[in-house]
Amino acid sequence: MKAVGARLPRYDGMGHVTGHTRFVDDVRVPGMLWAKALRSPHHHAAIVHMDTSKAAAMPGVHTIVTWEDVPLLEYGHLSGLGIPADEPLLARDVVRYKGQPIALVAADDEETASAAAAAIEIEYEERPALLDVRLAFDEDAPKIHHWGNWYPHFEEEMDVRQIRKGNIDQAFEDADKIISGVYRSSAIEQAPVETQVGLAVPEPDGRLTIYSCTQALYFSLGVVAAHLEVPLNKVKIVGGTVGGGFGGKVDTATDTVIALAAQKTGRPVKWRWTREEEFLASSTRGPWHMEIIDAVTNDGWILGRKMLTLHDSGAYARFSPYGLTKHSFHHTGAYTIPNLHFDGYVVFTNRVPSTAMRGFGVTSISFAGETHMTRVANELGMDPYEIRLKNANRVGDTSPNRIRYTDPSTVDVVKAIANAEGRDLEPALAGMTRATRSGEMLPPHLVDQLDTSEGSH
Amino acid sequence: MKLEVNGVNREVRSEPLTPLLDVLREELDVTSPKAGCHAGGCGACTVMVDGKPRRSCLIPVAAVDGASITTVEGLGTPKDPSAVQQSFIHHYAAQCGFCTPGMVVAATAYIDGGGSDDKDEIAKAISGHVCRCTGYTKILDAIAAATKQTEFDITIIAPDPTTVTIGGSE
Repeated sequence: MKAVGARLPRYDGMGHVTGHTRFVDDVRVPGMLWAKALRSPHHHAAIVHMDTSKAAAMPGVHTIVTWEDVPLLEYGHLSGLGIPADEPLLARDVVRYKGQPIALVAADDEETASAAAAAIEIEYEERPALLDVRLAFDEDAPKIHHWGNWYPHFEEEMDVRQIRKGNIDQAFEDADKIISGVYRSSAIEQAPVETQVGLAVPEPDGRLTIYSCTQALYFSLGVVAAHLEVPLNKVKIVGGTVGGGFGGKVDTATDTVIALAAQKTGRPVKWRWTREEEFLASSTRGPWHMEIIDAVTNDGWILGRKMLTLHDSGAYARFSPYGLTKHSFHHTGAYTIPNLHFDGYVVFTNRVPSTAMRGFGVTSISFAGETHMTRVANELGMDPYEIRLKNANRVGDTSPNRIRYTDPSTVDVVKAIANAEGRDLEPALAGMTRATRSGEMLPPHLVDQLDTSEGSH
Repeated sequence: MKLEVNGVNREVRSEPLTPLLDVLREELDVTSPKAGCHAGGCGACTVMVDGKPRRSCLIPVAAVDGASITTVEGLGTPKDPSAVQQSFIHHYAAQCGFCTPGMVVAATAYIDGGGSDDKDEIAKAISGHVCRCTGYTKILDAIAAATKQTEFDITIIAPDPTTVTIGGSE
């Protein structure tokens, strides 16, 4: 047990500081072609005509991959869980976000590939763009997908992620005050210093080796094999050395398309995105729109919470239903609220698809929830520490999805924050612990939610 | 054209306006300078040109014909790492490692130029370098320490006094 509690050097530290670490763009193979994409210049448009023949005939161009080359064009990031796919690998008749890839050129060098991508003849019919989730439900809103503007497959057939717990009507009847707030967080580009990059190498035995910057090797393996309709053992992904990801390299970005280009040409193909492409077309943390209405008592108990969340998924679902589900499980934050009514929608817009970034779906509610706690405290004229410590999760409290907390740290964290801020808490607050609720900390409204069973979660 | 790269004379055949970064990476296979933005914004491509830190993505190779170029590979090796390189390991100043070659070059130039351990001065010296992992704190610590010390412990497994001992002794 020498390593537990010890200060260990990074296994890759020496490589990093001497320049010997081999990132994807540092991999050298002979005969390599360079790829560049034709991307949508519009937020939303129909592709009415496309002709790649002139571009393909340019000297130095080896192939142009379009939707017609993809064995399985649509494969969703959650298809492995049986959820219907909604995103084509390369756009066919519609582009739904600016920067969406339509075709990939593989050529002798990047300049030739860029010139050929620009020489592809393409005609669009622009459509109105939807860029604000709040407008997505309007009757005259632009339609993003044929089935509508929000994700319809929660629990197979529901178009909303719901949580119902306790008796929300009773909570609002019993409340001294109703305190509401609307919170919105913006999209954030993860902005790793290494942009998206991949290198696909066709091997003599028919397999493909893909050098990938993905954060999720086995996930990418499944996605590539599914689109190519090949068994998993025909694809080998080499990775693990990632020049920063922060969630932005969870979605499969380059691997599948370069695999197709390598298959078509029989040559290794490298595709590295420019910084501009990274900002334009790589997945971001999604924007969230959150409305919270709390039923509270004058002495600072939160009896119930109604919440509506609109998660901006961008043009396609990818992992957003998963992110919203996590969000819903966490929508009371680090506090116990026994009566809940939560509705959350994964809303499609003409933005770049959104994805994970540092606590997928949870950071948004942490921001909204904590801001709202302080708002409630202010409106009640109460110490923001007191309201947090009273409502803080304790052993045996249950989460929105009825998980029993076995060792919640909220009380200790809030006290540590007070300490760091130089706040002397009054003895009643300073003496609080995470122990199972009793006495004054167990008012009637928290009794029924308590799970005093042992051993169960 | 000619370049002396990490002490070795190299012939260059790229077009004269090719960025030095592309000459190093694509023609000469010196891959430690990284192309984070290719627009002079991130600092990951920083190399020393005749001893001065420069963004290699912004320099046409013809402008440095005959110059001496030092990349991070030229500052130390895994068998014989420099003080700055050791300090970066010791202080966990490299996380994903992508900005690290540029950072180490900039830090080395700063210390070679007589820079002090003043954190504000160090921050100025690396202000053109983007790191998305560390929040810079550990990088500042590493550079400050390297202004005063030439050897750092990079192998020891020592108990961290800030962590609580778990379980009994072995």
